[in-house]
Amino acid sequence: MERTRFQSFALYAVLAVVCGILLFPIYWLFVTALSTLAEIRQLPPSFWPAEPQWSTFTKVAFERPILLWLWNSSLAAIGSVGLSMIVSVFAGYSLSRFSLRGGRSLGLFILTAKMLPATLLVIPLFGIFRSIGLIGSLWSLVLAHATLIIPFTTWMLKGYFDTIPRELEQAAMVDGCSPLGAMFRVVLPVATPGLAATALYAFVLSWADYAYARTFLTNAQGSWTANLGITTMKGEYVTDWNEISAAAVFIALPILLIYLFLERYLVGGLTAGAEK
Amino acid sequence: MSLRFLDLARPSRQHWLGYLLLLPAVALVALIIVYPLFVSLDLSFQKIGMATLNAPRKPFTLDNYHKLFTSPDFWNACWVTIKLVVVVSAACFVVGLGTALLVNNRFKGRTLARLFVALPWAVPEVIAVVIFAWIFDSSFGLMNWLFIKLGVTSQMINWFSEPTAAFWVVAITMIWKGYPFVSIMTLAGLQSIPEDFYNAAKVDGASALQRFRYITIPVLMPVLGVTLVLVILWVFRDFSIIKVLTDGGPLKATQTLSIMTYDQAFGFFNMGYASAIGIVTLILCVVASLLMLGRKSQAMY
Repeated sequence: MERTRFQSFALYAVLAVVCGILLFPIYWLFVTALSTLAEIRQLPPSFWPAEPQWSTFTKVAFERPILLWLWNSSLAAIGSVGLSMIVSVFAGYSLSRFSLRGGRSLGLFILTAKMLPATLLVIPLFGIFRSIGLIGSLWSLVLAHATLIIPFTTWMLKGYFDTIPRELEQAAMVDGCSPLGAMFRVVLPVATPGLAATALYAFVLSWADYAYARTFLTNAQGSWTANLGITTMKGEYVTDWNEISAAAVFIALPILLIYLFLERYLVGGLTAGAEK
Repeated sequence: MSLRFLDLARPSRQHWLGYLLLLPAVALVALIIVYPLFVSLDLSFQKIGMATLNAPRKPFTLDNYHKLFTSPDFWNACWVTIKLVVVVSAACFVVGLGTALLVNNRFKGRTLARLFVALPWAVPEVIAVVIFAWIFDSSFGLMNWLFIKLGVTSQMINWFSEPTAAFWVVAITMIWKGYPFVSIMTLAGLQSIPEDFYNAAKVDGASALQRFRYITIPVLMPVLGVTLVLVILWVFRDFSIIKVLTDGGPLKATQTLSIMTYDQAFGFFNMGYASAIGIVTLILCVVASLLMLGRKSQAMY
């Protein structure tokens, strides 16, 4: 379909305006982080800092516990992603390869977890974790985030395994591989990109959590995650928006970068998980 | 017992392996999702302040539910939730569909444009709150400056102490965070439409509008149905954005069922009562999604 020059121009103009409005909040976050306090408190606001204050980042990193919080977020994410990936690789493989009686129901049973309000689930989990002494420990998040992650990863991986031909492991089994051996030595290596994409998606889910961290970790400052920590900055240093923004950049940046470089895979996962 | 029993390679035993592989996930889901769900249900029928597992069970009572349905706070929360669901889902759909159709055109830099329109998806909810809390800041926020500049208002609006204003701040933050999902899903749907459909329609003399009406919309319908359900469920259950942005205030103007559940459980330590609110929320979620999925499957045939 050929467009006239005017139509092309109009398309780009609309696109620029739309992207400009929609992405402005992200731009504003970076600008605020780079502005001086004086620039933040002036009207009309300055849309580009006269001298970008990169030192705000180092200041926030070293004078606030932001690095510790990021470390805690990473630990919780690694733990919950690890746990979820192990169980959902097996489950996804099983759902993809075996037509089990009741298998589909069991798969849907795993999926139903997506429907539950976190604010409902958090009450009994709090009671359970309190009874077994996990409150204040990152282990509580590893388990709680698994509730968020497993329904997604199981179905994402099932979809991914479905795209790998069965002949692959059948050939391996003819050559004397056991079924599990065929899965580990033949299917999983082939599925590496899918596994990586799923793990990244799981990481995003864990990284973004606030509800569970707020409930299970509030009493133990040393174990706060980044999302929990930054909300306390908002209350405490209400006027220092440049510092809060710099901290927010630290928290948002890993996910933004993952998204920019791996958008195709993440989007694939998002749409695959939702089709079910 | 001979070891042959464990030889899962034998065709007659293969399904055993299938169940075995499924077992850890099912067990984990049962343990950390389904069992807690039943604990909640049980708690909702007890007058209980603090949930512990080892305490003796309190007597069965319907008090929590009775208190709930006679509480004006509960009906207010229902109303706020419904308003938010309608406003946010509708706007997410308009923006999401619009951006998807826009970047589905063929032009140079399309890949980059696709990357950009869905970028807010990658911003964690709490960070989105930080950004919008600053934009709507009552002293130096950009929005106040813009409103005065445009002549909408002559004085600074205190966005977070004015009920209607606070509701809109919450809604705008949620729309910004939620529309990329619609955009991504719609785009995936659009790309599954074969080019041939459009070419054939053009040969038959269908106008652009007709092609949109008779090809694009019907093919997208199932995707849009599922997406709508997921967006509605998300707004229904969301906690982080409202909790951090307004904490349900001012004057409960942004107190949804989720926020009310949480505050009753961890603000006032009425975990039995909170569980009852949570159970009602869950039932509403299930009913809403069944109704809509039902409609969708009807539309498909």
